[in-house]
Amino acid sequence: MSDNGKTTVRMTIDGRSIDAPVGATILEVARANGIDIPSLCYHPGVEAFGACRLCVVEITKPNWEGWKKLVTSCLYPVEEELIVSTRSEEVIENRRVVLDLQLARVPDSDVIRQMAAKYGIHDTSYEKRKDADTCIMCTICVRVCEAIGANAIATLSRGPEKYVDVPNIDACIGCGACALSCPTDAIPMTEENGVRHIWDKDFELVRCEVSGEPIGTPEQIKHFAEKSGLPESYFTKSDRQRKKETAADLARVMLG
Amino acid sequence: MSRKRLFVTPYRCIDCKNCEVACSFVHTRDPRKPSLTRVRSYTLRNDVKSVVLCLQCDDAACQRVCPTGALERDPETGAINRNDKCILCKACTIACPFGNIHFDPTNVEIVKCDVCEGDPACAKYCPTGALVWAEKPIPDEKVEENVEVRTLPWAMTMPVR
Repeated sequence: MSDNGKTTVRMTIDGRSIDAPVGATILEVARANGIDIPSLCYHPGVEAFGACRLCVVEITKPNWEGWKKLVTSCLYPVEEELIVSTRSEEVIENRRVVLDLQLARVPDSDVIRQMAAKYGIHDTSYEKRKDADTCIMCTICVRVCEAIGANAIATLSRGPEKYVDVPNIDACIGCGACALSCPTDAIPMTEENGVRHIWDKDFELVRCEVSGEPIGTPEQIKHFAEKSGLPESYFTKSDRQRKKETAADLARVMLG
Repeated sequence: MSRKRLFVTPYRCIDCKNCEVACSFVHTRDPRKPSLTRVRSYTLRNDVKSVVLCLQCDDAACQRVCPTGALERDPETGAINRNDKCILCKACTIACPFGNIHFDPTNVEIVKCDVCEGDPACAKYCPTGALVWAEKPIPDEKVEENVEVRTLPWAMTMPVR
């Protein structure tokens, strides 16, 4: 709730008048109303970070006497009388610069190439990074790992040398959420013969005690059991096996 | 207004797989992907047939284990739905004691029964009444009370196998 007890604010996005819930960000409100704002580092499941600058929009207010400014929509909370433009010339130019720079950073990323192509950028105007992987430094992996509670991934170094890594591999539970949540597939993960390989470490997977299907890493199971307060006996069978057993239980309950 | 619920009567199931095809088609628009179904029917030992889908537990293990609040109950339908907060840690798929939430590697997402937002296709295409979407269960001479999926008496209280 805002100071005056209201739960919504009246604002304008691209000329549309919108009642937005207090505390929401411009990006959330825009997307909830079907207005597209591109982003790279935003993930609804983790704290917003404002790193990629792609979601920048232009804001003004009636009493700003014509002054405007560019803000990251993923972080900026909605306000009464806020006038947002997601498609002004400045906003589009900002997106072009961001994508041009990203294309220099990750020239081989299909995701970035496709996004850049939408804004007419087919080749970067900057010098391409040598031996580039596809990491765009969005840090979704860092924040996902933090949300899970493992805190294994971090950004290391500073400036242009900054990179993402696992400084202490013992903290990694091998759940693979970082790899699956990465928007540019920059974290390699393989699973073969019951062994998951991620962050240069092999995790022997726990198998379903009935069907033998791989379920997850021992560290992952222990972590989730501890976090949720559920006994480890909840984590001993594959979903397929459990479903079949539930069907049998249902039949038994019904037929006596 | 009383709400509609999904009632399961497993012994009425003839394992015809209509529910599986309807479910995977509604959720993927691809009739060739029955592996992505949220509902499954089985022919068990001694030729007993049975059907199972998410029980939408009151105190759900999937919700408890989720680190980001990505599993939310829809007050309208009673279903627990996955929202876009999911970070794909797959904790829910391991924790569900009934095996009713899955990881779909093709579309890289967590899938579970959402009762088709209040119009479940499985019940619509079930020819025998094993799955019924209604305000009240169909009267049955064989059992005193039909099982309502959401309030199944042993959901979360049954000793874990």
